[in-house]
Amino acid sequence: MAAPALSHLNHPDVILSRRKAFEALKAELSAKASLPSLPIEGTVATAIPELDRLLAGGFPSGSVAILEGSTGRWSIAVGLVSAMTRRSLVAILDDGALYPPGLADAGVCLERVLIVPVRKALEVARAADILLRSRICRLILMPAIALRDSIWARLATLAHRNGVLLIVMATRAGTALSAVAELRLHCALERIIMRGTHGLWGGFAGFELRIDLRKHKHVLPGHQARVRALSS
Amino acid sequence: MLLCVDVDIEPCHPEPVEGWEEMLDALDAVSPLIDDVRPGLAFLEMHGIAGDARAWMMQARSVLAGFGSVLRLGAGSNKIAARAAAYVADGSICEPGSECELLALLPLTLLDIEAKVVERLALLGIERLGDLAALPHGPFVRRFGTAAARWHELARGIDRRPFVPRSRAIAIEASIFGEGRAVDEAQVFFALRMLLARVCADLERCGKRAGALHLALELEDAQTCTFDVPLAMPTAQERTMFDMMRAKLEGATFESAIIGLRVQARQLEEGGEAQALFGADDFDPQRVAVTIARLEAMLGESIARATTREAHLLEERFAYEPFELPRKAMFDRTEAPHELVPQLRLLEVREIAVELRAREPATVDGQAVMQCVGPWRIAERAFTISPVTRDEYDVVLEDGTFARIYRQNTHWYMRGVYE
Repeated sequence: MAAPALSHLNHPDVILSRRKAFEALKAELSAKASLPSLPIEGTVATAIPELDRLLAGGFPSGSVAILEGSTGRWSIAVGLVSAMTRRSLVAILDDGALYPPGLADAGVCLERVLIVPVRKALEVARAADILLRSRICRLILMPAIALRDSIWARLATLAHRNGVLLIVMATRAGTALSAVAELRLHCALERIIMRGTHGLWGGFAGFELRIDLRKHKHVLPGHQARVRALSS
Repeated sequence: MLLCVDVDIEPCHPEPVEGWEEMLDALDAVSPLIDDVRPGLAFLEMHGIAGDARAWMMQARSVLAGFGSVLRLGAGSNKIAARAAAYVADGSICEPGSECELLALLPLTLLDIEAKVVERLALLGIERLGDLAALPHGPFVRRFGTAAARWHELARGIDRRPFVPRSRAIAIEASIFGEGRAVDEAQVFFALRMLLARVCADLERCGKRAGALHLALELEDAQTCTFDVPLAMPTAQERTMFDMMRAKLEGATFESAIIGLRVQARQLEEGGEAQALFGADDFDPQRVAVTIARLEAMLGESIARATTREAHLLEERFAYEPFELPRKAMFDRTEAPHELVPQLRLLEVREIAVELRAREPATVDGQAVMQCVGPWRIAERAFTISPVTRDEYDVVLEDGTFARIYRQNTHWYMRGVYE
């Protein structure tokens, strides 16, 4: 029996369809690899299912994570604080903008939150250093400030060594901070959710956020999640 | 038989409270067992002491005569009876079996219950202990909670509160003088460590723990600097004490060299330290206290915790108070909410330029308002010289900023942004 002719394999249509199939397979495999079906160990769950799914279980403990964007990042951070105050102390380095009733509405146990008043960049860095070394809090929230690369590296090392999650709130993270961070999330306002009608009879019910994963140790960047923040 | 000593002193004033300790020391001559309930109120256990109630009261009066305070003494079979006797008239005795009769006409305040509960009971027509005792036990406890069971019993002259004798006053301290002068930090810390080792050895020998430390530094220029160092939990551990002392001294500077140190253990308590069985998710209170002391020394400000309250103005809906360790266990079984809540961030209040269209903000600092809700009027302090009337709006600006703005008089201000 004669062997089948292989010349048709070089036909442009075959090559095109083969390339398409290959691209589809590559996309499928990369998608599977980037979002593990089982949660990664050593993560801090946020109790927000969409976010935990995006992060394959939650925020990586013992690391520096950055929450970027102009709207929504504090809503996400406070969601995590709410989950964390159920089992440990949390520290917030406050530059004066904190609004505690918002935290209470989000279910945060306020008596387990250390509010550290900080005004200068040096104070922020030193306070974070003391808290990381002490290991009294599992989660520390701090504002992004201009610090030397070596200081960010030291804070990241301390966070890693002591198993503390250090979340930095930044509108846009700088190069040094991005380099040491294990996780970068960008939050963007998708739409406002209104309650009732316009004007006096209306009210702000919340907003929908789009969260872009920009950096993760175990998950390929580029994935997104949509979450809602609704006022109680 | 118990003897009640009710002294008319102001509890908030520090000096009379110090005097109170001296009064208790003087009362040791009347009975070795004294229950120090609060400054101004103590009970003396007179069982087995020679004499009768009149003689005991006379002796108590003579030992306290030098203090010049107004005294009320009473005797009874238990605490409530003795206190009621002192309340009725100085020198009264409540004979066993006559407690109900004596208590019936006395006010509810004798039970040391909250003022708002007394008010609630008064609204129901219960103003005397006799009225309370006459209520059916079950329905009263169901209505006012488990604490009400105790009030009901007390009103009937039954007092199950334990008699807690106060501990003996022991002075545990160590000092070092005449060993030269310390000019650098390391020398001071070395001396401090040595003194703390001595104090801890004494504490261990007495089976006690210190709840606070007092450090006095004698300087070469004849000045004395003192530091009070409260400990998160009473302890006899040298390391914890040293960490706390060092954290407290971190920001301190002195005009001249140190020539003497004295460390005193205060707030002494009996017994050992409580240890958690499963330490993984628990925190160490001493470590928290050391960290807070270090942060406070570095920042020069208190580490706070927030409390919320009902108020109309945003800035009055919360307050900060010094951080204290939560009394409840750290592990909380309640589940965290599964939804996010928008967070308002308070910006420094600044005036903004707002253009109106149809009596609503149309632009804010030149940016078009995409969505606007409000106004919500807030009128506060209407009867004061500085009344506050505001119209608040939530606006979404064209750059995506979602802000809370308000108008006060004719000016517009930015209050915060939702993040």
